[in-house]
Amino acid sequence: MGLPLFSASADPGPSFFHYSRAIGLEFPPTSNENLQAMSPHATTVVAVRYNGGVIMVADRQATGSYIASRDVRKVEAADQYTAIAISGTAARGMQFIRIAQLSFEHYEKMTNSSLSLEGKANYLSPIIQGNNLTSPLVVIPLLAGWDRSHQMGRVFEYDGAGGTYERHDFATIGSGSPFAESALRLGFRADMDQEEALELGALAIYEAGDNDPSTGGPDFVRNLFPMMVVIDASGYREIPSESVGERFRAISERRASTGGIPGGTLR
Amino acid sequence: MSNFFYVAPEQMTKDRATFAQKGIARGRSILASVYDIGVLMVAENPSVSLNKISEVYDRIAFAGVGKYNEFDRLREAGIRWADTTGYTYARDDVDARALANFYAQHVGDMFSEGPKPLEVEILVAQLGNMFHETKLYQIAYDGTISDESHFAVLGGDAESVKTRYQALFTEPVSRELTLRNAVSALAGSERTIASTELEVGILEDRGARRAFLRLHPDAIGEMLGA
Repeated sequence: MGLPLFSASADPGPSFFHYSRAIGLEFPPTSNENLQAMSPHATTVVAVRYNGGVIMVADRQATGSYIASRDVRKVEAADQYTAIAISGTAARGMQFIRIAQLSFEHYEKMTNSSLSLEGKANYLSPIIQGNNLTSPLVVIPLLAGWDRSHQMGRVFEYDGAGGTYERHDFATIGSGSPFAESALRLGFRADMDQEEALELGALAIYEAGDNDPSTGGPDFVRNLFPMMVVIDASGYREIPSESVGERFRAISERRASTGGIPGGTLR
Repeated sequence: MSNFFYVAPEQMTKDRATFAQKGIARGRSILASVYDIGVLMVAENPSVSLNKISEVYDRIAFAGVGKYNEFDRLREAGIRWADTTGYTYARDDVDARALANFYAQHVGDMFSEGPKPLEVEILVAQLGNMFHETKLYQIAYDGTISDESHFAVLGGDAESVKTRYQALFTEPVSRELTLRNAVSALAGSERTIASTELEVGILEDRGARRAFLRLHPDAIGEMLGA
């Protein structure tokens, strides 16, 4: 590829998406229905707002007609203050994360300023629409981040056609959503602190892993645990796997002590 | 029938070079130098928003002198090229030498075939690692490319700045000392440059993937001991 120069009127600006369309590098439309069966799916992720930011918990299983992978990363830092999670077709989802990461950095370098969190959420919308309306390889992402201008954690979810919706409490994506969502609906409170939000998010993923065949719960045999992420005023960080393991071990032991019955409380 | 006058290629090249040199000489110089653990770029620039130094990729930076609109378009093309290359292959495959060659080709084409030569001189700096060398690629208005391992000066007053810096440079030293030497070489003995008139960018390993950092005016003042 040569030097990509544009005349002022044809210049795609700081948007990598518009630039990639100008040079013909984008999600190719696909019409083959069989493709869906060929590609493993990535599953349950939750995002929960709390009084100092937002947390995300994601299972790590990729499922085809069998378990394709047990250690998939479905959440990644899109930039220092933003996390992006994916559900749906793994192949397109991974590509989507790369494009999002690249786009936010591209904008930053081109303009010497970063996009607002809302700007990032809106930017992704036509990319999702372009993919999901032209291909059976559907991707549904979830965007969470720390909004530096409003000093708060914010969560944006998407529908299959790329519609963007801000959620003020929590959001879930993936096939285990109904189970995760139930736990979140019962346990969510508006004034939670980070620890409470992490515990609730972990419980929601535990429920999804327990009931949804395509969601992987904690794997004590291989020591593989869901990913837990915090985004607050100091940015994106991942909770170390040992500490996530302890949390899930505690939940699992509580359940084992009552023969698998939650007993009408969130525990 | 219009008359078509023959112009000798020597004459045309000379005229075009004079034109480009005049345009470049109107702006202040930029100095880039390797220091003990990084690369430092210093520009005299009273504007805080119209930058002459910029990040291109993880370990690559860009600097330009001359007409702002012309070198800024090259800067944008460089970022696009680097991001596309890194996306297509891998981040380690983005190499400053390839980018510098594309710049040289384009600037050279504009010099010999364009409606007018570009009135710019640009620099592509790369911080080395296991895959790439630390290098400063300098591209002149006519597409001439050169690579320097220690320092490079761009702009109208380049020769005298270079002579002054050569006298101060023996080996890569600390960031602070490099900046002080660079500023004194840019200023010369007759004048001083206020720290608010300086734009400074560095490439340095700071534990992050992106090595570029634009220094805050306060940090520049502190480093200069002002």
